[in-house]
Amino acid sequence: MRVFFFFLLKKVIILFIVLSITLFLTIFLLGSTMDKIMMDQVRLQAINSVSGPSLENPQLQQFKTNEERQKLINQQIKIQSQSLGLDEPWYSPKKLFNGIYKILTLNLGNSRFFTTYNGSNSVNELILEKLPNTILLFTTSSITIILIGLFYGTYLASKEGSLPEKFISGLAATSRGVPDWWFSMIMIVVFSFFLHIFPSRATPLSSPNEPGYVLDLLYHMTLPFITLVIIGFSPFVYYVKYIVLRILDEDFIKTLRIMGIPKKNILYVHALKNAGPQLSTILGLGITASLSGSLLVEQIFDWPGMGNLFYNAITQNDSPLIIGLGYISVLIYLLTRLILDVCFTYFDPRIKSGET
Amino acid sequence: MAIKLIKLIKENKGGFIGALLLFFLMIMTCYALLFVSTQSRLQWNDPIFWSDNPKTAAPEWFNIILKPFGYQLPEHKIFLQKDAIVNTLNDIDFKLENNTFSYQFDYNEFPSSFDIPYTITLGEIPPILEIYVKRPDNLEFKIYSNSLESVNSLQNSEDSSANSVNDNITAPTLINSNTVSGRVFSSSQEVQNSLSEYSNIFKFPISGLSSEKIIYSQTDSNTPLKGEYEFIFSVYSFDSDTILQNLKLVIQGKVFGLLGTDEFRRDVFFGILIGTPVALFIGITVALSSSFIGLFYGLYSGYTGKKAGTFMLTIIDIFISLPTFIIFIIISIHFGRNLLFLIGLFILFGWPGVALLNRTFSIQIKNYPYIEASKLMGESDFKIVLRHIVPQLLPFTLANFALSVPIAILGESALSFLGFGDPSFPTWGQMLQEAHASSAETLGYWWWIVSPGLMISITSIAFILIGRSLENLVKIGKRR
Repeated sequence: MRVFFFFLLKKVIILFIVLSITLFLTIFLLGSTMDKIMMDQVRLQAINSVSGPSLENPQLQQFKTNEERQKLINQQIKIQSQSLGLDEPWYSPKKLFNGIYKILTLNLGNSRFFTTYNGSNSVNELILEKLPNTILLFTTSSITIILIGLFYGTYLASKEGSLPEKFISGLAATSRGVPDWWFSMIMIVVFSFFLHIFPSRATPLSSPNEPGYVLDLLYHMTLPFITLVIIGFSPFVYYVKYIVLRILDEDFIKTLRIMGIPKKNILYVHALKNAGPQLSTILGLGITASLSGSLLVEQIFDWPGMGNLFYNAITQNDSPLIIGLGYISVLIYLLTRLILDVCFTYFDPRIKSGET
Repeated sequence: MAIKLIKLIKENKGGFIGALLLFFLMIMTCYALLFVSTQSRLQWNDPIFWSDNPKTAAPEWFNIILKPFGYQLPEHKIFLQKDAIVNTLNDIDFKLENNTFSYQFDYNEFPSSFDIPYTITLGEIPPILEIYVKRPDNLEFKIYSNSLESVNSLQNSEDSSANSVNDNITAPTLINSNTVSGRVFSSSQEVQNSLSEYSNIFKFPISGLSSEKIIYSQTDSNTPLKGEYEFIFSVYSFDSDTILQNLKLVIQGKVFGLLGTDEFRRDVFFGILIGTPVALFIGITVALSSSFIGLFYGLYSGYTGKKAGTFMLTIIDIFISLPTFIIFIIISIHFGRNLLFLIGLFILFGWPGVALLNRTFSIQIKNYPYIEASKLMGESDFKIVLRHIVPQLLPFTLANFALSVPIAILGESALSFLGFGDPSFPTWGQMLQEAHASSAETLGYWWWIVSPGLMISITSIAFILIGRSLENLVKIGKRR
């Protein structure tokens, strides 16, 4: 148990270091641009407040010269920037600490261009609105892939050298080389342009408050779902087959065979159970990879999830949203990894006894 | 020898296919490097260079597929001045020069559009230009007329706009003191206006239709009228100095070239060709550097062990846990759009995986008896590593090298797709990004999407297959 505890502690420390690195990198790289953007906003506000038709604004008639007006503008900019802390550079310790504290407490600020359905532009609310959609699409497709992989992969392990087995090996190499986002584009061309079966944009037309929304969402989800399953299932089937084959070679399986236990039973109960730890490692890697890959796939299908929002934030250069989304996705990514690591180590007898 | 080779191929069919694909890519690379100069590579982003090509045209062989269905898309045709039949008519005070292009139109769809670029040397009195279209049913439309008088006044007021080429500017402009150059587009207002005068001929409203859908249309329904069309470009000149220098008729088709064209009239095949060396360069440079760094880092941390080794392992762990793609994006927002920078980024995040593998192997090898024996013999650590461990690791490194090429290529194309590609090196990912930005997938421009993505896939699959069979070979060798 002590070994397990130390292992866990090491993992948590590493993940914490990773989180700090990413956070610092984000603030380091986007901090200066964000300050510049805010400074521009302040300047624009100050200029707007003293310009405009002079008749409507009696304060403006006080100015006799242009210089006086400029003086007032500069004064206002100074006051504003001081109150927002823009007079200090982004790397001053006070601001850095403030920024990290804000992000750690999930106070992610406001997006510059994007709003939720209810009109709020808070980054938190934007993410909360999109996160369920991402989880919906990627958990359903991942579960489907896992189920297909486990059963078909184990089945193929018993048919080594057969035609379907060779076919899956080839398909796995192909799917690993094909960019999933390009495959999504092809699927749109085939199924929505030529065959008119599915809509090309996966964002539902009705708003979330309408009664038919869930059905509409599911209908729009079908094409991305099919695409993700087609591109993802064969590598997983291949891995499962590979691992189960190696276990089938071991002595205890031979003993079970001699004992006369049915072939199916050996395959699906004993072999699969023993493949558990290795399979979960690959599963963990696959899930985390699909999370980062979701960015492009969601954008291509226009699926209203986090990846799509991230893409739009990048193209519009919406720094607060990029920082917020980056942080949340890193957090999700690291938490998934941690949970998976804990599970592997807990179930893997070798680590418990401290062998590795 | 030959029998051995055949046996090797039979045992590693995947590897053989991979080698064939790699050979194909090498041919493309050699061709691109030998026959495409830097100059023409840079023309990729220059719209003027591509102005004679059709917009979003399908590949030419698409017509062969459509033939059994009795359907043909209009081909792209460029008529040069020498293709025209010239008739001259001398009157007392003017000279009429008719340049007639005859165009055989046998297609089931209207052409995209047409445009007529021309260059004329002016004499003292500006000439009058007129363009007529004579249809198979003997109707004749006057689609354009311009007395070049306005050009002279243009000369004085502004001559800065002379080099602007825009889709809908048909106005003739002076290119030097007495030469006028212009381009008549079918989509221009002048052509549309002159065609609207013939609205009583057609039995359907023509007001919203674009001009090529009127010119090539049957009179009773808006379907293409097959037959021979004549485009007549007439110049009425009033002195002997007026000479028609250059004249072209470009009929914008819907099929063009080996792989079609994109929204910006660029030849997709050319883009594919110049993208090949870039993709291979990125993939091979990144894979070579990261497997080299990974080999020695892994070796050192595995062989030394102790505290330094553990510390090095922790660094690898941190690198592997980093969410690479998000970090790529954040770094690229700040620095991006440079090829060498992208390569550096991929190397920075590519080596830890290789290092981890090499570390595990070198720990294993370190404990073999023959290593311990040579240690006892007093050989230096440096010599042991170089003589005994590195040769053992090399086959794995080779397989790792092949398997990390596709990671770099796929990563580059994904980043290019996000818009962080280097604009001076057009890559397949950038082509796909432009296709997606013009919503090619919803408009059905499949040729613009299929070929770049297929090339990315072919390149990655080639290396994956080679890497896999190398892995298998190593494993078999170990078993023996």
